[in-house]
Amino acid sequence: MSSYIIPFIFLALFCYSKYKKVNTYDTFVKGAKKSIPLVVDIFPYIATIMIAVALLRVSGITSMLAYILSPIFNFLGIPTELIELVLLRPFTGSGSYGILNDVLTTYGPDSYISRCACVILGCSETIFYVTTVYISQTKVKKLLYAIPIALICALVGSIVACLLCKII
Amino acid sequence: MNRIWFLMVIGSIACLIWTDPANVLNSMINASTEALTLSIELCAVYAVWLGILELVDESGLGNKLAKLLHPLIKKLFKINDIETEKLIALNMSANMLGLGNASTPMGIAAMKRLDDGSGIATPAIIMLIVINSTSIQLLPSTIIGLRASAGSMTPSDIILPTIISTVCTFVLGVFLVKLFEKIHTKLKRSKK
Repeated sequence: MSSYIIPFIFLALFCYSKYKKVNTYDTFVKGAKKSIPLVVDIFPYIATIMIAVALLRVSGITSMLAYILSPIFNFLGIPTELIELVLLRPFTGSGSYGILNDVLTTYGPDSYISRCACVILGCSETIFYVTTVYISQTKVKKLLYAIPIALICALVGSIVACLLCKII
Repeated sequence: MNRIWFLMVIGSIACLIWTDPANVLNSMINASTEALTLSIELCAVYAVWLGILELVDESGLGNKLAKLLHPLIKKLFKINDIETEKLIALNMSANMLGLGNASTPMGIAAMKRLDDGSGIATPAIIMLIVINSTSIQLLPSTIIGLRASAGSMTPSDIILPTIISTVCTFVLGVFLVKLFEKIHTKLKRSKK
């Protein structure tokens, strides 16, 4: 089902553009041209955040934090096995997909733990990554309460996810 | 961001000096290499999506979408600028389809237009960050794919709980942004 959505949207878009007498080729080139400068601009931000995340993981601080925080997370209904995922999710997309893969193979894809992990990942975002990249082209230095709110939402999302997986 | 990054790096390096000093530079360079690979991939992805975006824009579809989402965007962001509204509308639509990477260039462009140059995030910027952080996702296609390849009997049974929890976080996020905005302006006023 889902594999049909994008092709159909694209087909409709190209036909509609033709109907509106837009030069599809020239227009597409014009848009695609912007991608290289954009990536050149955001690369340093991506690299900087990924370096910090790599250090954090290699140093073992995340597993230590997971151990220290496990009573709190258990109280909130988040299984110990998933704490590292919840902690790392705001920082790294590829890293959290790696953890999800481990969870799926270790516990079996249809187990409670795995389903929780999937929902947690599905309802959250790489907050720090998104934030750095999004504001990289602006002059904004002070984010005020943006990140705390995003983190609270992610935590609540994880709690709701674990709860829902128990019911459904 | 400065403080968080500093804490992360200092803490980790201090830890590694005890446990594995040889790994510090190594993992930094590895991460940077990974970032470069990711950027090249992103460059390709963005080329496709920015091409599509230009078409959406030129054909007038962008304006239509912005008009459609206008009431919602106006309520959330309190802005009155069709160009920015269009970018936010596209950003949100791409997010809903689970196309995180496609939504990024539009989000960045929208941010540029929302920036007032003061160095402090405006309420609209904070709203856009939080909305993108809690991104409503109607089709977690990557995760369903991963489940299927891990041999799940019912790979798509996570769709419903995912949609429910993502809607929860979205509503909570919007509510908190509005709440904090009120508290913030009150504090500012009482300081004056």
